[in-house]
Amino acid sequence: MDEDVVLESDRGFSQDQRAELGLGALVFVVVALLVALFVFVLHEAWPSFAHNGIAWFGGGGSVDQQLQAISTSGDLKQAPVYTFHAWPLIWSTIVITLGAVAIAFVSSLFIAVFMVEFAPPWLRRILEPVVRLLASIPSVIYGLAAVLVLVPFIGNHLITQSEKASVTPAIQLSGSSLLAAIVVLTVMIAPIMIAVFADGLRAVPRGWLEGSLALGINQWRTFWKVGVRTARPVLVAGTVLATARALGEAVMVSMVSGGVGFAPNPVDGLIFFFEPSRPLAATIIDFKDELSSPPMKHTLYAIAAVLLFSSAMLSVIGWAAKRPMRRYGVVP
Amino acid sequence: MGKEWTLGSRIRRLAAPAVAIAMMALPATAGATTLFGSGSSAEQPILNVLFRAYNRLHPSTRFNYLPDGGNAGVQDVQAGRRLFAVNTRPPLPSDAGTTYFKLFLDGLCVAVNPANSVSGLTITQAKDIFTGVATNWTQIAGSNLTTTIDPVGRNSSAGSYTFFQQAILGGQTQSSNVHPVTSDGLVATAVSKDQNGIGYVGLAHAGKGSGVKTVTLNGVACTQANIKNETYPLFRYIWGVVPTTRASRTVEKFFDWVRTSKQAGQIISRAGAVSAFNKK
Repeated sequence: MDEDVVLESDRGFSQDQRAELGLGALVFVVVALLVALFVFVLHEAWPSFAHNGIAWFGGGGSVDQQLQAISTSGDLKQAPVYTFHAWPLIWSTIVITLGAVAIAFVSSLFIAVFMVEFAPPWLRRILEPVVRLLASIPSVIYGLAAVLVLVPFIGNHLITQSEKASVTPAIQLSGSSLLAAIVVLTVMIAPIMIAVFADGLRAVPRGWLEGSLALGINQWRTFWKVGVRTARPVLVAGTVLATARALGEAVMVSMVSGGVGFAPNPVDGLIFFFEPSRPLAATIIDFKDELSSPPMKHTLYAIAAVLLFSSAMLSVIGWAAKRPMRRYGVVP
Repeated sequence: MGKEWTLGSRIRRLAAPAVAIAMMALPATAGATTLFGSGSSAEQPILNVLFRAYNRLHPSTRFNYLPDGGNAGVQDVQAGRRLFAVNTRPPLPSDAGTTYFKLFLDGLCVAVNPANSVSGLTITQAKDIFTGVATNWTQIAGSNLTTTIDPVGRNSSAGSYTFFQQAILGGQTQSSNVHPVTSDGLVATAVSKDQNGIGYVGLAHAGKGSGVKTVTLNGVACTQANIKNETYPLFRYIWGVVPTTRASRTVEKFFDWVRTSKQAGQIISRAGAVSAFNKK
């Protein structure tokens, strides 16, 4: 008898409608989870922001000593300490992310153009799977290779003894540096950019390119002026995706960036790129063992909230950058 | 086909395999006790070997160990979240409600690159290096190098950091030119790749194949024998922690086995720590 009732209600929806409802429910769950994530992280982060105010983002004092004071106050069950000035970490994040994205963007664009338009078919058949494979390598493998090869190379061959002596004992130029982090991060995000760029360039209508070629314009100029221009929204999308990945990369950067809360100073000239630092995401990894100390937990969640907010803003910027292009009939 | 797929029949179809899976899982866990513990991450490699060996002797006892740091582990025991903890420091007044047992010994070695001819340091010299007072190898007698010292240490969340700070630095914070890394293995790697390097690592990470050379402290070498007779300055006991009231009998049996059995003693020595009370 129960069967009949079920059958009755079942007949109310067609199979398509059921699929639509099911998928709709899934989307709703995903959105609800995302909202819950934001609310939870912000709630946990609040004490740290509330205590420091706008100074949270500023500089002042040694950020490592502040973190240690925060952690100890929780472990010893004293009045919680929250004083935290994150500027060295934020500055390190900005320099490493922008450096890697800038280098990766230029090289990826040229590689993608070559792969799509100029490479002979046999080379293309090799390049495409290789790029896809590179894009899927876990970051910790890049980190290990960097710790064993790149960091010692920079430390032993690129940094001179007099450079080392000039900054001792304030910091140590060990090879773990901005340069190492930027190089490895570039290698890590470039394949993602190449894959996305190549897809976009391949989608440019053949007729547009052929029209330009028919007017007597050479292949290079045609592709640069018509192909790459048409694919601009995809270039933006790929760059935003890669920037978000670079921003949140923690394990690898924690291994090669030097691990100290020091703000590298551009005035130092060439040494700037050899100076150690620690970006925001790596800070969470390095201090995860101290989550048992409540003020430390709130501080780490505050760092997480800043990263989460930055990623969200990146998505919004990517969306906004693509809008004016749509008006001219450019649809990715 | 379409009519057979009513909601009721679908649930029944899904229920059958679900029950079957649950049935398969049951006999495997029947009668087994899982001991939940947490604490020191530095001792985790040694504990894992001990857990496996004890499980082979007593198949009904399993272990689940969360390496969240010694101090966090004690808090877990106080809060009743975990049955036992492992800590690398002696009991403090803040550890109320817990009982500590000495399990075995461990030592922190000071190690340099094999290319460095220095063979021994005094505690004062080690302190000067890690507080940024001595910055060039020319200031250290016995070294053939004339270059900047590259000290490598642990970051402040490590038990070894606190131990080194208390025992060598006299409570001072290590200088900002010390390159902090997140594990003992990374300290050994960094020192082995840089001939100006010096770092502190657990005994297990300074052995053959680690690529580093241990130096004597105040003339005493970092060896299992010197740690066992407590002449090496950087020895420490590894402590087992249980709640003072209503401690688990199974945990106590396990700790007794670790402390006293001959087999556990051999395992501890082979895994890189030093057995203290085990039968020969």
